[in-house]
Amino acid sequence: MLKSKRAEYFAAAVLMAPFVVIYAVLFVYPTIKMVELSFTNAPLIGPGRWVGIDNYWRLATERLFPTALWNTIYFVILSALPSTLLALFVALGVNRLKGWTQSVVLAAFFLPYILPVSVVFRIWDWMFDHDFGIAQYLIAPLNGGQRLSVFRTVPLFMPMVALVTIWWLMGFNVLLFIAGLRNISTEIYEAARLDGATRWAQFKRITWPLIWPVTVLVLTIQLILQFKIFDQVYLFTQGGYRVDTTMVMVQYIYRQAFQLNKGGLAASASVVLFVLIAVMSVLQYQLLRVRAQR
Amino acid sequence: MTGAVAVADAPLSAASRLMRLRRIDLIGALVTLATLLGAVVWAFPLYWGLVTTFKPETEIVQPGVQLWPRDFTFENYANVLTQTKIGLWYLNSLITSGAVTIIVVAMAASAGYAISQLQFPGRRFFWAMILASFMVPIPALIVNHFVLMSQFGWVNTLQGVVAPQLIAPVTVIIYKQFFDQMPKDFREAAKMDGANEFQLLFRIYLPMNWGVTTALAIITFIAAWNLFLWPFLAVSSEEKLNVAVGITQVHDAFGVQYGRDLAVAMLAALPVAVVYLLFQRRVTQAIMLSAGIKG
Amino acid sequence: MSPHAAPHVELRRVTKRYGAFTAISDLSLTVDKGSFTALLGPSGCGKSTLLRMIAGLEPITAGQCFINGAEVTDVDPAKRRIAMVFQSYALYPHMTVRQNIAFSLSIAGASRKEQDARTQEVARILQLEDYLDRRPAELSGGQRQRVAIGRALVRKPEVFLFDEPLSNLDAKLRVQMRLELAKLHAALHSTMIYVTHDQTEAMTLADKIVVLDRGRVAQIGSPLELYNRPANKFVAAFIGSPSMNFFRVGLTAVEEKTASVALPGGRTARVGLGAPPAFAEATVDLGVRPEHLSLVDTHDAEAALSGRIGIVENLGNLTLLYVDTPAGQLIVEGPGDVGSKKGDLVGLKFSAANARLFGADGATL
Repeated sequence: MLKSKRAEYFAAAVLMAPFVVIYAVLFVYPTIKMVELSFTNAPLIGPGRWVGIDNYWRLATERLFPTALWNTIYFVILSALPSTLLALFVALGVNRLKGWTQSVVLAAFFLPYILPVSVVFRIWDWMFDHDFGIAQYLIAPLNGGQRLSVFRTVPLFMPMVALVTIWWLMGFNVLLFIAGLRNISTEIYEAARLDGATRWAQFKRITWPLIWPVTVLVLTIQLILQFKIFDQVYLFTQGGYRVDTTMVMVQYIYRQAFQLNKGGLAASASVVLFVLIAVMSVLQYQLLRVRAQR
Repeated sequence: MTGAVAVADAPLSAASRLMRLRRIDLIGALVTLATLLGAVVWAFPLYWGLVTTFKPETEIVQPGVQLWPRDFTFENYANVLTQTKIGLWYLNSLITSGAVTIIVVAMAASAGYAISQLQFPGRRFFWAMILASFMVPIPALIVNHFVLMSQFGWVNTLQGVVAPQLIAPVTVIIYKQFFDQMPKDFREAAKMDGANEFQLLFRIYLPMNWGVTTALAIITFIAAWNLFLWPFLAVSSEEKLNVAVGITQVHDAFGVQYGRDLAVAMLAALPVAVVYLLFQRRVTQAIMLSAGIKG
Repeated sequence: MSPHAAPHVELRRVTKRYGAFTAISDLSLTVDKGSFTALLGPSGCGKSTLLRMIAGLEPITAGQCFINGAEVTDVDPAKRRIAMVFQSYALYPHMTVRQNIAFSLSIAGASRKEQDARTQEVARILQLEDYLDRRPAELSGGQRQRVAIGRALVRKPEVFLFDEPLSNLDAKLRVQMRLELAKLHAALHSTMIYVTHDQTEAMTLADKIVVLDRGRVAQIGSPLELYNRPANKFVAAFIGSPSMNFFRVGLTAVEEKTASVALPGGRTARVGLGAPPAFAEATVDLGVRPEHLSLVDTHDAEAALSGRIGIVENLGNLTLLYVDTPAGQLIVEGPGDVGSKKGDLVGLKFSAANARLFGADGATL
């Protein structure tokens, strides 16, 4: 018994070793260091002096960080909720289709999801191009016949980036909704139809009660995901002006650390982001647990 | 409440029920039409981007909507392949994404197996740590990842691109769940046949869960191929870029040339699009799994 | 089968506890070399646990296990020179039949040539040669069963362990596989230990049956010993189908080898006793098998009980009659053409040699 126990420990040690080493070096250590760095005035690389909560105080009092925080929240509102609801409608529609039509339509909605963000950026940059973009045929009549550079128009920037993001990532949500819809047996619908339930009654009394847990799941996944927005905002402001007004949190971290060489300040912003997302994840976990207990 | 079935207020006559069904079918047809239209709208930007790459630059800048090139050409692709370092970027993406995939899958399968099947001190602690790291935003760690990589002297190297991508708690969680579900008999039969833990993992558990492994490998590869932020930070020289970041540099270096810019983008998307179209079912499964829905 | 063989497998005062629950308590057992021993009992009696303890898959809480005279209590399952056939077969779905059978050899590092030779040999014995390159999913239930046996056979083990191996097969196939197992045992002369809850399997296959009741040995003996001389009420009730009839009787007189009892309904009967009487109870349980009850006229002098036939089940070769008597409903097994029908008033008789008395503690008197 002792011998086989020892063999089991040995196997466990060998199998866990890569995981433990990688997690310790690339996850636990940087996390601790991040918190430590956030209390110093260190540059990105190199030592710094302990400054207590000065960095956090700066985040709260200076203009840029609250702007970045607000822009992030604004973007999350613009992207997470619409992409969840739209995905639900699309999934309901796709779920009606059968066979190869369903596969093709689903692929049309899903394909953007697997593209690199820079490809998405290129496609939409071209669609909305000021001089030759095909979207200008829609925009110009709405703008009094004038072409409009939508990504350089500050009030339009976030909504437009959100639109592109919805196009890019909605397929993921559609997939989850379709999985949820497939779990509802067709017999329930047939029984309801025989009972004379209208389409709306079927949706309200059968589909929605069974699909709302998936909706909650999709929405929380989207909230957490979109909070980490950087790539699209960075790419669409590339070479532009007034970056500050459209800045988001990760972009703020990037700016402080890699452009202004303020490692300490960047780390404190990272800690704030870290805490915000951790809180949302805990909420998500709780929601899922409540759902599992029902 | 579950599956409450709506009941009509009054029984309908056969005729009125038929009318009602017909009306419903009309609504159904409209919904289907809207869905099909939506799919066309959704696919259009990708199509438009793709079709533009086959037009000569002079045709691209002409007004009007030309849905198919008047003058079909591969000129843009030829330009991209000769004028940019896309071949090198492809290679870099292939190396880094391949390395991330292999290491993540091997590490996750081993750790998932140990946590699922073995009793050892610290098992619960590691499991709790994996569940906890699930909620950590990796972009929040970019600053300290960069500091760490510079301490290793790995800034602007391919291994520096790979390293921070190796944190993949979801993969471990999925493996553990699948190994948990394996009937105990297989384990005991193999043990009686003299297999040790490593043989159990590599000859029984992994081959019996081959589908999950392919699904996870594909999705890990796609994610690594598409990753933007970290390679963008970690690499400073054009020679070490991956495709996803590299294509944004073409624009910077050569100024605006729509056909060429889009052609390079399409080339960057090609491998993941092909992988997706070939392994649709596996990609779908992997996405369900990572969202916590059994696929 | 060699007579007076040395014990091949021995369990010495073993106990198995899961927390507060005791699955096996202080159990001792020997299995002779070359014997076919069945561990029989209802579900939850600990028979599978016992087998798994012999296999080394279940750690023993207290006590010792010996195989071939050597203690193996703490030895790895793989090093006990035993092989086990699982209830689910546990065939590896991703391997061909050939790979499944050769798996243990490949783990042990045998040469490709040796693996092939031994797999071929096993396949020949089990008539699996045509299926060697198929996967388990492409096989029928009986073929899978044979592969599972083949996987055990290839290791040339000292002891074969079977954990309810036929329970996943349909009735017809089960009878066929039972015969094949008997043939296999006759051909190999290996020690086989076989867990089952099906008394027919145990009775037909085993030369020794261990009846288990809640983690203890109820009786060990040959099939006929268990049938003819059950040690207690549990074994008497468990062996035989339909089950033995039991009813309460009053003791009136006890002699050397027989006892007189007062039956419900007023008549008396004589019943054989196993041991000289040393008991004080006035009422005991009388047990008599359905096949030992016969129908007579109600007024017959030999009729012990009388009653009305409630249900008649015609099984073709025999008939089961459920007779409502003052002693409760008794099952009577009659010939196929019994000629009685529902509602008939009948008398029942049995001989002293075929009835048993059981004391309050369940032991046979």
